[in-house]
Amino acid sequence: MGAYRRMHGVRVLRFLALAVGLALTGSVATRGQAPAPASPTAPPAATGAAPSVAHPSAGGTAAKPAIQRRSAVPGHSFDSLVKPFVAEHCASCHGTRRQKGGLNLAAYDSLEALTNDADRWEMVVQKLRDGEMPPEDEEPRPTPKQVTELTGFVEREIAKADAARPPDPGRVTTRRLNRTEYNNTVRDLLGVDIRPADDFPNDDSGYGFDNIGDVLSTSPLLVEKQLAAAERIARTAIFGTGALKPSLTKLPMLNARVVESKDVPERYDQTGLTMANAAHATYRVPVEAEYVVRLVTSGRRPQGSEAMTFALWVDGTKIAEELLDPSLGAGFEPGEQELSGRRVEFRVKLTAGEHWIAGSPLRMFEGMPAKFGGPSPSKLPPPAPPEFKPRPGMTAEQIEFAKKRFEARLTERMVVNTPRVGGIEVIGPYGYEGKPSAASRALIYTCQHPGPHVDACRLPILSKLARRAYRRPVTKDEVGKLVALAENVSRETGSFDEGLTSAVQAILVSPDFLFRVERGEPRLVTSRTRTGAPAALGVKLTQHELASRLSYFLWASMPDAALSAAADRGVLRQPLVLGAQVTRMLADPRSATLGEHFAGQWLQVRALESASPDREKFPDFDHYLRTSMRRETEMFVAAIVREDRSILDFLDGKFTFLNERLARHYGIDGVSGTDFRRVALPVDGVRGGVITQASVLTVSSYATRTSPVLRGRWILDNILAAPPPEPPPDIPNLDDKGVGTATSVRQQLEQHRADPTCASCHKRMDPLGFGLENFDAIGAWRTADGQVPIDSSGTLPDGRTFTGPKELRTILVSERDAFSRAITGKLMTYALGRGLERGDRRDVAKMAKAIAADKYRFSSVVRQIVNSPAFQMRRADVKPAPVADPVDTRTAEQHPAPPAREPGSAKPGTPTQEPGR
Amino acid sequence: MIITGKHLSRRTILRGMGAMVALPALDAMTPALAAAAGKKAGTPPLRLAFAYVPNGVTMESWTPAAEGASYELTRILKPLAPVKDRVLVLSGLEHNNGNALGDGPGDHARAGAVFLTGVHCRKTAGADIKNGVSVDQIAARQVGSATRLGSIELGCEDTRIVGNCDSGYSCAYTNSLSWRSDTTPQPPETNPRAVFERLFGADAGLDPATRAQRLRTRRSILDFVGERSAALRNDLGANDRRKLDEYFTSVREIEQRIAQAESHNSDWLPEMEKPSGIPETFAEHVSLMFDLQALAFQADITRIATTMIAREGSTRTYPEIGVADPHHPLTHHRNNPEWIEKVTQINEFHMGLFAKFIQKLASTPEGDGTLLDHSMIVYGSGIADGNKHTHLDLPVLLVGNGGGALAPGRHIRYGKDTPMTNLYMTLLDRMGVRPESVGDSTGHVQHLANV
Repeated sequence: MGAYRRMHGVRVLRFLALAVGLALTGSVATRGQAPAPASPTAPPAATGAAPSVAHPSAGGTAAKPAIQRRSAVPGHSFDSLVKPFVAEHCASCHGTRRQKGGLNLAAYDSLEALTNDADRWEMVVQKLRDGEMPPEDEEPRPTPKQVTELTGFVEREIAKADAARPPDPGRVTTRRLNRTEYNNTVRDLLGVDIRPADDFPNDDSGYGFDNIGDVLSTSPLLVEKQLAAAERIARTAIFGTGALKPSLTKLPMLNARVVESKDVPERYDQTGLTMANAAHATYRVPVEAEYVVRLVTSGRRPQGSEAMTFALWVDGTKIAEELLDPSLGAGFEPGEQELSGRRVEFRVKLTAGEHWIAGSPLRMFEGMPAKFGGPSPSKLPPPAPPEFKPRPGMTAEQIEFAKKRFEARLTERMVVNTPRVGGIEVIGPYGYEGKPSAASRALIYTCQHPGPHVDACRLPILSKLARRAYRRPVTKDEVGKLVALAENVSRETGSFDEGLTSAVQAILVSPDFLFRVERGEPRLVTSRTRTGAPAALGVKLTQHELASRLSYFLWASMPDAALSAAADRGVLRQPLVLGAQVTRMLADPRSATLGEHFAGQWLQVRALESASPDREKFPDFDHYLRTSMRRETEMFVAAIVREDRSILDFLDGKFTFLNERLARHYGIDGVSGTDFRRVALPVDGVRGGVITQASVLTVSSYATRTSPVLRGRWILDNILAAPPPEPPPDIPNLDDKGVGTATSVRQQLEQHRADPTCASCHKRMDPLGFGLENFDAIGAWRTADGQVPIDSSGTLPDGRTFTGPKELRTILVSERDAFSRAITGKLMTYALGRGLERGDRRDVAKMAKAIAADKYRFSSVVRQIVNSPAFQMRRADVKPAPVADPVDTRTAEQHPAPPAREPGSAKPGTPTQEPGR
Repeated sequence: MIITGKHLSRRTILRGMGAMVALPALDAMTPALAAAAGKKAGTPPLRLAFAYVPNGVTMESWTPAAEGASYELTRILKPLAPVKDRVLVLSGLEHNNGNALGDGPGDHARAGAVFLTGVHCRKTAGADIKNGVSVDQIAARQVGSATRLGSIELGCEDTRIVGNCDSGYSCAYTNSLSWRSDTTPQPPETNPRAVFERLFGADAGLDPATRAQRLRTRRSILDFVGERSAALRNDLGANDRRKLDEYFTSVREIEQRIAQAESHNSDWLPEMEKPSGIPETFAEHVSLMFDLQALAFQADITRIATTMIAREGSTRTYPEIGVADPHHPLTHHRNNPEWIEKVTQINEFHMGLFAKFIQKLASTPEGDGTLLDHSMIVYGSGIADGNKHTHLDLPVLLVGNGGGALAPGRHIRYGKDTPMTNLYMTLLDRMGVRPESVGDSTGHVQHLANV
């Protein structure tokens, strides 16, 4: 897997740095974006005392509880404590003369300077506490007491400074619809489900997600594609696609390798579907119509076999069977039937949308000549033994040799039966007239009157469309321009519909459609810091902006009628209304996007699409297994969402969803057929939660082998909210060839950890990965890697030890607070479309507690986010006219504030008039 | 008739082509210029093309008995009767580097790899493939800059196959005839729709009035969007404005390209419906690819083309002509007359499709003559006898007049040890390209121009 390597990229590095404030290169940006402190020298113990956990300790050790003991030692100051410590223990490497790692600790000359760069100092604290710094061979070493004093002091001061800082809802950069959102929005807006954005250039990702405002860019190429897509969408919606000529599509597929054998197995899958002999593909059928699906076969059967049956499967259901009799055709070798290039065709009706299409040989060991010992042998007379014919021009010696070989072949038991489906072609559509869909017509022609459309219809039709497309009320002027465009084109073409089409095109390429522009309400909302100082908080989003945030968060699409209506009435912010909308939206099938897009990126299982496990080592891996893996995780996540289960199920769920293919892969009995069903996991504790799902185990492996490092890192980042920093450049990879023969991955990693530079992170990552070593690179159970027996024990930096996945899970479950922060942080990043900042992470820690109090229910995570100021507000853009406005406690309950005083000058505000309508 | 130039008011077309697909459309302007330049000079350009059929042919039904101009077309060559005087049948050419030379089995992979390169490819199923630069790419390097596309590579069989295709040879060797460098194959495009859009832009298949109308509409839409963006931009904060600016700049760039395109001239558009994709039948597919190649030559979008009618080692079945057996196993006929007959039928079928293409070129006027007058088209296989995997005395045709450089209408037999690449040296020379050698070439072939 290239995931880890890719993550070493500079861009990701920067984002990670922003997110966790760990990597040194990111600190400038972090500092630049941090809100200016209202009063860095504010008196310490004011009203809101710092909570015991200031925020999740960035980069904290996975296994180490976040809670730190700190002694209340008065009397220390920056000058008496920090300065001398730095001078004595740090400055020789991180000082004015040398700045190893770009770090100059001597440059911090005041407490204010220190707390203004809190992220970096938290990293310093972490390294001191872990004993990673100063390095072992540096003298003089600080005493443990000195370290405790210093780290305690720094953390206390940072917590105080944090508390003094004004709450800040953050600033989401205007977001362009990403490809998923574009496809979904067009579907919901016009009833056109043709996924036009699949042709667009890939969306860049930041902070692990592809919906981040700062990262989503727009290039001329994209705009060009958007222009073309708008035309295609508008024409499809209004005129339909027109009659389509049938054309042929070869479906891309990944086939398993058929391992040739001379034996007839005692038991095998008679449907052929789970065998390597089948072919599987995912095909997006463009329109509902008739299609010819052609299976192209290959492989061999012994001469004298009866005709064999091939089956076509659509979405796991057998649609049809056809006989194929290769007995009379040409073959490479005497005594064999050749199936290469032969075709089995089925004419079937397919509905539009994505389908799983598969072809397989049925009962493939039946019907062979009796001498092969298979079931239901051939009733045909045995074929006449082939005759030996020397090729012309052979010497007597050559003839002798060829004859011997020929005779040996006749008596030898050979590889007998390898029929398979090698390719699938779809030809069609047949008989498709291409009229616009009823759904599209209903969504567009809202001007309800009998007879042909008249000029007066343009205004109502386009008003409604623009209102929905722009996801907000529209002005007369805006609609007027669209109407004028439509009129012009209608006049030129003499067609009402042509005019309408042009206006729909214009809507679809308008920035109001393509971007989610947020301005907020005109009035500034103020709050107080925890120290009681007044400060600006920002502006509330408008009702319609809030509706869009909700719908793109939970559905990755535009608001529907009910949500828009609540915004129109101006009641969406009311807690009961908002809560009811969230409940309704989570129950809606569209919330499946949370599984597909949020979880797909959080758990990184999206990478399955491009995973290509080595074919020699993993001949079993095919498209069927891959989609089955993905489906398991999607359904598992969907179950947690839909049933509002505890998020701890992600760590240790005792159930999952399996079909026969995946059950076989897991070695779990009693699951047959193609349907996924809920399965209670065996009590052996081998599997449970997402960490032991094949999808996750595959994407956190390399193509040829497992990587405890990748898996450990995966857990630190996604489960424990403690991603390790990026590795230094130019580190060598493990010796792949040696793995499994001379040494184990484990031994190689142990050598690696002998280097103290590597050890600081790898002692956190590697042991977690060792716990999963019983799962190979595609997630199947194993007890040995090649010749080396698996050792799945690990020792965490804090001394806790475990063996195997079950005990590892127990440890992870005990870190439920860290996990709660991890998932909340990830979901919040996805919901906001921006990286989390210092203040956000502080809030996330508080939310995580509230979630714990609510039995860790998934909906609780969603509600905490939806109710947060970061979700409902935005930092104001422009300096406001002073408006004293008591904080809305419904939206900012996390920041209980006394009656507002003058807004602080440190925060910008917003103009009073309604902007830009 | 598909290939007819269509005249439209210059302004109408140009405005629109740019608007519609800005980048390709802008590119699409250049070949017209190049063509115009060529025409001004008075001599139509010379084209070089290659067509490949796999698994050898039934040589007994291919090679004419007599040599010289008085030869009779054999059974497989019969479809060429209407253009017999435009055809050179070349016998005796060989690709010695297609032989095992100690590398064991894998003749099909070697045959595909050697055909245009003359190089003995490295036996590997991994990523370390190594072959040679193919003759079409040697030509394209020099003459390709005169046209918008240096060369085009077309195919009628899927090339997405990866891994080991023949006895330990990578599928790359049979996927591509054309090699840009010794490690970079140029896989052919198999979807006619993609070829059409690459050549002419997505809109070129519409009727002129509709096209013009759509272009005007697109322009109005761009105006609308530009206006809206400018208004929106003014009331946003800096970060948001940056995002909108990216969008706005892109819109402006597309508008500028339209304006730029308008300053160029073009009066040529294909009167051909845009293909919807790969057609239902193989014959239609091959014909469509040849049609597109003819159009590309006619519009002077490129002068170099290769067409892989089927990939080497193909197991395609031909139920449309009553051959339900896969091609490759059939060619290992072990002298079974029924199988030989079926192989010959496949050979005739391929030749029929090729002959249609030649006739099309012969009936497309250009300058004082036809497109075929200004073309040199090689048809052949890297294997002679599929049953024996021989790479000697290959089936090879050279069609067209080469701008007067060739004297077709004859059967020429070359002596033993004449590399196929010597033919390529001679053809390159006619194109004005004079490399030291191509693959294993030892010099030039004689007799192409004189009797």
